[in-house]
Amino acid sequence: MTTAVRTERLTKRYGRSLAVSGVELEIEAGEIFGLVGPNGAGKTTTLKMLATLLPPSAGDAEIGGHSVRREPDAVRSVIGYMPDTFGVYDDMRVWEYLDFFGRCYGLSAARRRQMIGDLLELVDLADKRGAYVQDLSRGMQQRLCLAHALVHDPQVLLLDEPASGLDPRARVELRELLRELRSLGKTILISSHILPELEELCTSVAIIDHGRLLASGRVEDIAERFRLGAVYRATVLGDESELARAEQHLASHADVASVVRRPGSVLEFALRGDVDAAASVLTSSVRAGIKLTSFAPAASDLEELFLQITDIRALDATQPEART
Amino acid sequence: MSTLVAGLARRSGRVGHAIGRFWSGISAVSIKELRGRMRGRRAFVVLTIYLLLLGLFAFGIYVYLKQQAATVGFSTGIGDDFGRPFPGGQTLGNGTALSAGIGHGIFGGLLFLETLLVLVLAPAFTTGAISLEREKQTLDLLVTTPLSTLGMVIGKLFSALTYVFLLILASVPLASLVFVFGGVGPEDLVRAYVFLFALAFGMGAVGLFISALVRRTQTATVVTFVVVLVLSIGTAAGHQFWQVAGRQSTTSSGLLLTQRTNRAPEPVLWLNPFVAGLDMVCATAPDTYHQSCEYISSVTGRPYFGSPTPTIQPGIDFPADGPLRDFVEGEDGAGARPPLEADARLTQAISFGFPRDTFWPKSAAAFVGLGVALTLLAAQLVSPSRRLRLPGRPRIRGRGRGSPPPDNANDLPSTEAAS
Repeated sequence: MTTAVRTERLTKRYGRSLAVSGVELEIEAGEIFGLVGPNGAGKTTTLKMLATLLPPSAGDAEIGGHSVRREPDAVRSVIGYMPDTFGVYDDMRVWEYLDFFGRCYGLSAARRRQMIGDLLELVDLADKRGAYVQDLSRGMQQRLCLAHALVHDPQVLLLDEPASGLDPRARVELRELLRELRSLGKTILISSHILPELEELCTSVAIIDHGRLLASGRVEDIAERFRLGAVYRATVLGDESELARAEQHLASHADVASVVRRPGSVLEFALRGDVDAAASVLTSSVRAGIKLTSFAPAASDLEELFLQITDIRALDATQPEART
Repeated sequence: MSTLVAGLARRSGRVGHAIGRFWSGISAVSIKELRGRMRGRRAFVVLTIYLLLLGLFAFGIYVYLKQQAATVGFSTGIGDDFGRPFPGGQTLGNGTALSAGIGHGIFGGLLFLETLLVLVLAPAFTTGAISLEREKQTLDLLVTTPLSTLGMVIGKLFSALTYVFLLILASVPLASLVFVFGGVGPEDLVRAYVFLFALAFGMGAVGLFISALVRRTQTATVVTFVVVLVLSIGTAAGHQFWQVAGRQSTTSSGLLLTQRTNRAPEPVLWLNPFVAGLDMVCATAPDTYHQSCEYISSVTGRPYFGSPTPTIQPGIDFPADGPLRDFVEGEDGAGARPPLEADARLTQAISFGFPRDTFWPKSAAAFVGLGVALTLLAAQLVSPSRRLRLPGRPRIRGRGRGSPPPDNANDLPSTEAAS
């Protein structure tokens, strides 16, 4: 495995405030790498520096072996960048939009024709070829913007909040599309604050807050490093007495730290330990004759991880969709 | 052109690559812009309305001059003050062939109107070129492509100017109407169009530069039109003020020729398109006297021999017994001459006419120079990595002592300590 993206003490200063401070990342080729963090954490600034849109104040980053400082042109030809708030030229037709970017990358007319057909097929816009960009739905525009980043067949994709503002169906489609791109051998660096979406997709993540890198690596590895206990939920079948018995049983179990009742006969409990502890709790509950209809992690691993690693208040202050 | 590009590419890979990016920048951006601009009926409706307006204006001048000739002709009598016969006998009040007067009038009128249109339209088409990309958040998409920013900026300018050039060229058949009336030669028309193209380029670049400098389109538009006003009215007013102030300080000498030493600097007016227009109007003046020539004379300091008869244009600044006579009489040192002989020499001087091309070529060159400079600056402003820094600077900064090292991350702690 070769390294596709590497940053060395990447720093961006705006006046006195540090937007990004000494971030070190190493992303293997072929990975889908998630950049996780609350709003204002420095995700967009990091991606912009990688996309050669902002010169770093200090440190450097290499993409495909080219330095963003010294060889921005070489970097631009190996990356496809999709900004978080993107605009589209609305007075163009869909095919003209891609044709324009094809020209920007100096593709020949024949290659452009081929590329437009292939890309529209890939992002599922083949039937919108002649439509005006302004007449497309938000999700379609997002897919078109992603297609524009693929015009020159780049090895590395930098996607800043690609799923923001999309409905669930469009999100699922986007996820499928990114998986397909990964299978084509692309390295994808994706930033988001919508964690479940990343968890299903990413092979590795980096958690970033206040411009600092808090953790990076495979989700399981990070969890192990921080020795986090998971939160599980169990749904109990039966009446109130049954529920009380189950609660008592769980509370007395050695691997359970705390139990909370939730509406709808649901018990939520924090584990001291990981999957082994969960298995032991489940086995003992079944042995005790408690009828369970479901037994599963309460929140996604990544969400849990994120909340524990970053300051929870920071997340509360910046609710999703109130983006900067 | 492509063989040239290919040849250069062979010679030096880097230079060739850069030129390639430059050309693809121009072609990609201008094709995209033109697709948007020329789509639909709008561009052609505007063109039609523009031509109708110009035609109406020319017709208005024609009717007005004919009517004026009729009334003036009745009051002062048709004839030539110098006794020269005119074929057909139709003359303006001051002894010009009516037809040539109309030709001259239409030429001047169309030149004025087109100058005004180019002055307004060229920056209007470019003033949103970059700020709109910023506002619609498409600039990042463009900048992350390997396009050269200079190519991109030139593509924007080129596409905006294409439409302005189309408007200018579409008026050529209408302007050639002046040949029917005479008084204006093809070379005069060529001069006028050369100047209009230079003006369009210069003003287009002004809009483009302001668009790159100012983040919001609204602000950019306002700033651009303030600049247009300053160039067209402000410079003339400033120049006039300077001139008058200068004249006051030297009236004690009583000699008008001393004005030349205190002239306001001519370059102040180089970027005023209307003054250049006056120079061209003066060159086609069928008259012995024309105010345009007098103004240009006051700007360039070249002597202008206006009409010797004050009855034609009363209240002019160049009295017949002023420097004019001094010049004529002093030309060969002879002070006292019989008045008749002096008049004959005067007529000779008049037929020699006002020197052509004394001002507008400088003005056209100034607009082209301004255009080139502002286009280069706009490209610098658009480029994310080189915001108004000289191309050589970053490398020097990297090796410099007190500045942040870009290459070596190990140096970071010392940098932070320093800052």
